[in-house]
Amino acid sequence: MPVKILSVDDSKTIRMLVAKAFRPYDATVLEAGNGEEGLAVAAREKPDLIILDVTMPVMDGVTMLTKLKENAELKHIPVVMLTAESGRDNVMHIARLGARDYLVKPFKEDQLIGKVSRIVSLQPRAGTPAPAS
Amino acid sequence: MESFDMAAFLQQQAKDVFSTMASMDVAAAPGPNGLFDRERITGVVGIGGEQVTGAVYLHLPLALAEQITRQMLGMEPGDPLEETAVNDVTGELTNMLAGGLKSTLCDRGLPCAVSTPTIIRGNAYDIEVMPDVQRTCLPLLAADQPILVEVHIKLN
Repeated sequence: MPVKILSVDDSKTIRMLVAKAFRPYDATVLEAGNGEEGLAVAAREKPDLIILDVTMPVMDGVTMLTKLKENAELKHIPVVMLTAESGRDNVMHIARLGARDYLVKPFKEDQLIGKVSRIVSLQPRAGTPAPAS
Repeated sequence: MESFDMAAFLQQQAKDVFSTMASMDVAAAPGPNGLFDRERITGVVGIGGEQVTGAVYLHLPLALAEQITRQMLGMEPGDPLEETAVNDVTGELTNMLAGGLKSTLCDRGLPCAVSTPTIIRGNAYDIEVMPDVQRTCLPLLAADQPILVEVHIKLN
């Protein structure tokens, strides 16, 4: 059973980079372009983990995380925040809201895989060479 | 903010962003070196707070923005490249530069937020400075092409 990961980011570039990072693994990457879409996909698909941007139009990542944690069916889903803002206040705020971890942009694929593999078990995709560790 | 070396900060930020996301080294340059004579693309991210407002601009030659887009998305030289992909990559790079600056401003007691990116394309536009705005321009070189990082900050 592939790990189901939801990438929520208004940047198609970042969503493509996230999808590319997980290509060597037995994982399905779902996408949403803002927090509102992200909540809808999360409710429908029940992903194993959410990678969530902070600054987005329509609904930002902090609001989506808050709503996720208020929802009894979704609050157990671990969230890794992907943020361009590394400031103390931002990081503490994210932690208080219940994000499992965070990654500061710019990021490398192996940093993302490292964070996610501490939360869910990533297995190499069948028929692909073992990913570099 | 008096003791803050904005140019040095921006240079380090630009180095981190371009090397991590595009595997590209950037170096200081004496000037924009023909950037404004070329077809270019500019990413803009606004900064807003009670005590500070401003914007971060990343000016790139369009050809370099296309090269970075291919590099970041793992595309081959002949692959078709959509305008929206180049816009998105330029916006995201600008967002990363602005996010780093926002964090530094917040840590220095100037809480603020950043906007989502806006893109300008063309070869005949200028960014003008409003009164009381501190402007910092940092010319750089990447892959032998000129880049300009420009920051406007106003302390209220």
